[in-house]
Amino acid sequence: MKKNVKMAMAVMAALALVGCSSQKPAETAAGAGGKGDKEGSYTIGIGQFAEHGSLDNCREGFLAGLAEEGIIEGENLTVLYDNAQTDGGTASQIMANFLANDVDMICGIATPIAQSAYSAAKDTDVPVIYTAVTDPVLAELADGDGMPVGEITGTSDKLPVEKQLEMIRKLLPEAAKIGILYSTSEVNSMSAIEEYKAAAPEYGFEIVESGVSSTADIPLATDNLLKKVDCLNNLTDNTVVSVLPMVLDKAGKENIPVFGSEIEQVKIGCLASMGLDYVSLGKKTGQMAAQVLKGEKKASEMKFEVVTEASFYGNTAVAEKLGVTFPEELASSAAGLFDEVVAD
Amino acid sequence: MSIVIGVLEEGLIYAILALGVYITYKILDFPDLSVDGTFPLGAAVTAMLILKEVHPAATLLLAFAAGALAGCVTGVIHVKLKVRDLLSGIIMMTALYSVNLRIAGKANLAIFTKETIFDNGFLDRVVPEGARPFTVTLILLAITLACKLILDLYLNTRSGYLLRAVGDNDVLVTSLAKDKGMVKVVGLAIANGFVALAGCVYCQQKGFFEISTGTGAIVIGLANVIIGTKVGARVFRKLPFIKATTLVILGSLVYRACVAVAIAMGMAASDLKLVTSALFLAILVASSLKGKKVPTYA
Repeated sequence: MKKNVKMAMAVMAALALVGCSSQKPAETAAGAGGKGDKEGSYTIGIGQFAEHGSLDNCREGFLAGLAEEGIIEGENLTVLYDNAQTDGGTASQIMANFLANDVDMICGIATPIAQSAYSAAKDTDVPVIYTAVTDPVLAELADGDGMPVGEITGTSDKLPVEKQLEMIRKLLPEAAKIGILYSTSEVNSMSAIEEYKAAAPEYGFEIVESGVSSTADIPLATDNLLKKVDCLNNLTDNTVVSVLPMVLDKAGKENIPVFGSEIEQVKIGCLASMGLDYVSLGKKTGQMAAQVLKGEKKASEMKFEVVTEASFYGNTAVAEKLGVTFPEELASSAAGLFDEVVAD
Repeated sequence: MSIVIGVLEEGLIYAILALGVYITYKILDFPDLSVDGTFPLGAAVTAMLILKEVHPAATLLLAFAAGALAGCVTGVIHVKLKVRDLLSGIIMMTALYSVNLRIAGKANLAIFTKETIFDNGFLDRVVPEGARPFTVTLILLAITLACKLILDLYLNTRSGYLLRAVGDNDVLVTSLAKDKGMVKVVGLAIANGFVALAGCVYCQQKGFFEISTGTGAIVIGLANVIIGTKVGARVFRKLPFIKATTLVILGSLVYRACVAVAIAMGMAASDLKLVTSALFLAILVASSLKGKKVPTYA
């Protein structure tokens, strides 16, 4: 008898744990929509690899891009959204679930989940659209000419390396060494570092890199790097970005400027960035998705797109603190100037 | 339908991993955490070899060998350097992270355009159109069953008996004038060989290697083994001829099915780890009520 009570308690405890974790936004409700939808309405499964500002902006932009083409969430579009929280195993499970729900299209945000999506969908007729994949060729989602390897296409968030270096030179005429923190587990960062190293001498810079394997290594790596360099430059490295406020704090104490790679990073305290606007990257992706959904083009016929234009973002509050002034040519062409540091 | 196939595919891949974990956890009574490193090791070796045009089938053996080597090292650290079992696994797991990055050269290596055991010219010619959706599952089933049979056969050899004896009663092994340390090293090698083989198959099926795939592999493996041996042994107690290795494979399928149901019911994927632990805890508590002692580290 006593055993049964204990057993019941164990089961209840387990159910309680499961129960409290099962609250989720209604939009992820499974079983909704599918190919049985009425004419002209669609279901898209969006899988996002990690949770941070840039990727969230991609998703927002993606939905906005679809809306511009008349495919509006809640009207003729059902969205199933799931986040893999940087776990590869979860990513493939998410994809299996999307396919089981008969989605009309899968959208993968960031490289690993785009690969999971392609791997899960390649034997089906479900097209895949990706965004925030830095190097689709390296990820084998496109061939050397930029043509898709299957029913998969999307947009790349390749960093405008040359423009960033040019901008740093303009703001810091005296600087010689640029420090870059990156995580060894992110392939995008590795290729970005290579590009920076190749381009830096032209602008009179030397790149000092420091690789970390997890966020726990970052404090020491930052302290160490700050002793050696004139400024830091931040990539889109998911691991580093997630603890950027800490890096900014340490650099701020040493009066060393930190450059960002996109708008969100400037908002939270990077000095400036020649960066991508992830919302417009997402929008472009959404427009491509709309073409595929409406049957105007097949995904396999569309080259992946790179956003080539980079815009200047600056944070005047940070500039003032560091005693840096934005040259007129940059300030006047800025896509965004922020006069405060927003705590993220 | 696709969800059933998904469960079978994932379940069978992790069943190979579970067979390895079964050897260390159940037979050797050794909590081996190197699994979190040897699973991606198998994947890294495979991706690297396939890009070097090695035949996909050959990578199965080479990945097994790589895993076995890593298992040997864990064993030697524990047996010869007298480091505690848990710690030797942790040391190995941590070291393998760097080793895996070195082997693959980077954190993410794609092999979509290459031939794999699941996708090659031979299969395209042989398999009829109607059977295409099931090829991956059938190939996986064949590999997993082969692993199980080989392991069953091995456990009935002289060396296999010694392996089982070390976990149950190591004094007996010493009294037979055998080196129990050596037996442990062999056990760890075989176990991690299976785990790396699972990583190899995983990589070929998914079409890419990703450094993060190993995270939590040990938890999945343990859950599979425990579901299989605790719950399975109870369900099939009237059928004692069903081997523990079979139960472990079934455990893996049941575990995947639970995860798939959780997601299909609308659970956010980000909560999966919590569900896993809840399921894990429930099974451990429920099975300990049978009066059997649960190892203290579980």
